[in-house]
Amino acid sequence: MEDLTQMDRAMSTQQDIKISAKNVQVYYDKNHAIKDVNVEIADKTVTAFIGPSGCGKSTFLRCINRMNDTIDICRVEGDIRIDGEDIYDPKVDPVQLRAKVGMVFQKPNPFPKSIYDNVAYGPKIHGLSRNKAELDEIVEKSLRKAALWNEAKDRLDAPGTGLSGGQQQRLCIARAIATAPEVLLMDEPCSALDPIATAQVEELIDELRQSYSVVIVTHSMQQAARVSQKTAFFHLGNLVEYDDTDKIFTNPEDPRTESYISGRIG
Amino acid sequence: MKTSLLTLDARTKKRNAAEARFKAYGLSAIFVAMFALLILLTSVVSNGLSSFQQTFITLEVALPEDKLDKSGVRDLAVMSRVTTIGYAPVLRDALLAKLDALDIENPLSNRDLGNLISKQSAATVRDRVLANPDLVGQTVTFDLLASGRIDGYFKGAVTMESAALDGNTSPEALTIAQALADVGVIETKFNWNFFVWPDASVQRPEAAGLGVAILGSLYMMIVVLVLALPIGVASSIYLEEFAPKNRWTDLIEVNISNLAAVPSIVYGILGLAIFINFMEFNQSSPLVGGLVLTLMTLPTIIISTRAALKSVPPSIRDAALGVGASKMQSVFHHVLPLAAPGILTGTIIGLAQALGETAPLLLIGMVAFVREYPAAYTPEAGLFGEAATALPVQVFNWTQRSDPAFFERAFGAVITLLVFLLIMNAVAIYLRRRFERRW
Repeated sequence: MEDLTQMDRAMSTQQDIKISAKNVQVYYDKNHAIKDVNVEIADKTVTAFIGPSGCGKSTFLRCINRMNDTIDICRVEGDIRIDGEDIYDPKVDPVQLRAKVGMVFQKPNPFPKSIYDNVAYGPKIHGLSRNKAELDEIVEKSLRKAALWNEAKDRLDAPGTGLSGGQQQRLCIARAIATAPEVLLMDEPCSALDPIATAQVEELIDELRQSYSVVIVTHSMQQAARVSQKTAFFHLGNLVEYDDTDKIFTNPEDPRTESYISGRIG
Repeated sequence: MKTSLLTLDARTKKRNAAEARFKAYGLSAIFVAMFALLILLTSVVSNGLSSFQQTFITLEVALPEDKLDKSGVRDLAVMSRVTTIGYAPVLRDALLAKLDALDIENPLSNRDLGNLISKQSAATVRDRVLANPDLVGQTVTFDLLASGRIDGYFKGAVTMESAALDGNTSPEALTIAQALADVGVIETKFNWNFFVWPDASVQRPEAAGLGVAILGSLYMMIVVLVLALPIGVASSIYLEEFAPKNRWTDLIEVNISNLAAVPSIVYGILGLAIFINFMEFNQSSPLVGGLVLTLMTLPTIIISTRAALKSVPPSIRDAALGVGASKMQSVFHHVLPLAAPGILTGTIIGLAQALGETAPLLLIGMVAFVREYPAAYTPEAGLFGEAATALPVQVFNWTQRSDPAFFERAFGAVITLLVFLLIMNAVAIYLRRRFERRW
């Protein structure tokens, strides 16, 4: 009996907790956008945030790398820790945090520079390479990881904005992983892409799970079901349910979750 | 009721008519504008083009030692005691000799004949002689400026009829000039000196040039560029990217917009009170002019720079911040390069506006008559501290003078000013295209 519980515990702690949020509240001026969210996100896992528009899933995502700092009226309360360190500690510089927590945005937003410079920018400003050869290597590695190397290797000097939408988004992913982050946040990364590009990016997300903790916000429940191992359902600023993806989609506990995934609300 | 698509109903007809009317209004407005522009340009060009031409008399001038160098040993101290009044008869004698040689009848008194040659010519010859005293005793060929009336005659501004009523010239003088022109002694040719010479006194419009004005305008543009661009861009970047949005920044924003609408003469009064009376900078100096124009140009540059910064999509800022760039890195590495074409255009348009500004310069004394080329730096006057005029002020100045020959020169100055403005705008467009074409 005792052995069994121990085994059980081993199973559950096998996946380390990467990000833990406790009692997170977010206010936009007087608007209470995130209400008391508690969540623990595991390392080397894809975690999907789903929920109707305006439910706060993107807001919560942007709390994890403090992108909300750029919004004057936004106020974050509570406790968010990465590897046990409070990221809202006054000693934390958001710039350093964001190198560790990469982000991919809804619309592909490559810099209007060459493909090479797009990927090399992060490593350059963080001093991750000592010379050109090392930088080249980082760029190649990142582009390979983002499954863009074969398409881009012959035109690294071409503008990143000249790529197709799907390629641009993969370029943005390459740019995000070039700074060697530990967490990758994706804010609806496929919403501006066609189904083929979406499939490529989804495949990529699945591969990225090997090295990173990936958190993805998505509107598509099919996508959440396809790529994620854990799913969190947000509704009206509340985290309604957070569990294994299979469980959420087959046997949700909360009636709101069930309504949403069956298409009745949202 | 069933309606056919092939017949227009009343409502559609009305709508189409309204649209056609609107297009017609627009077209006619453009035509009126083009027509006005055409008239403006034609009048400026037709009035001013002749100022780039000048009438010269080519004379072999004997430079007699007894008149020009009483010392006989080319002692400059003695030679410089002979003023232009001493040189005028020398030139007149040369003209007399020319008329004799060409067998042209001369009914004029010596004084009236001397009036064919510009008073400036005596000074030109004197300067040449003092620079090279060995010329004395020789006969040297000079291209001498003809007087304003003679010049006007060959440009069609002075006629035999008008000369009959004119105290400064006479039909007889014009007849002699015509005879000289027939044999090629008098020629009208392109006059580079218009852009080089300083202003001249009321009696000698033929010698007036834009040299000091162009130099003064250039100095002022340097001051404006060096001050307004960095201050304007820095404050726009701060206001747009860094400053918190609160009541204070709102107040600043409103006031910048208001400053852009303040009449320029108000800046002139400000400049007079602060830079000249309080800070005691030199009157009529390009430094003060440049400072006043900087104040005037700053709102323009700030507004256009902020617009350019605003037009950079926020996704670029997010992208930069997302990979861990600091606020400043995201602005300087990504936002500013994208906004650069807009900033450049705004700056050049601001400069062009400053180049054409007159009113504030009148108040700080740039309307003064200046014949000395201002030095960019002198130990006494400091940087850009020597008196100068400016192009638009020179136009204003010349239109105030009684001699009609200044009229043509005023238009010539307008053309010069317009050409400078056109060049600046062309540069703005070129830079804009060039930087935008990159992606």
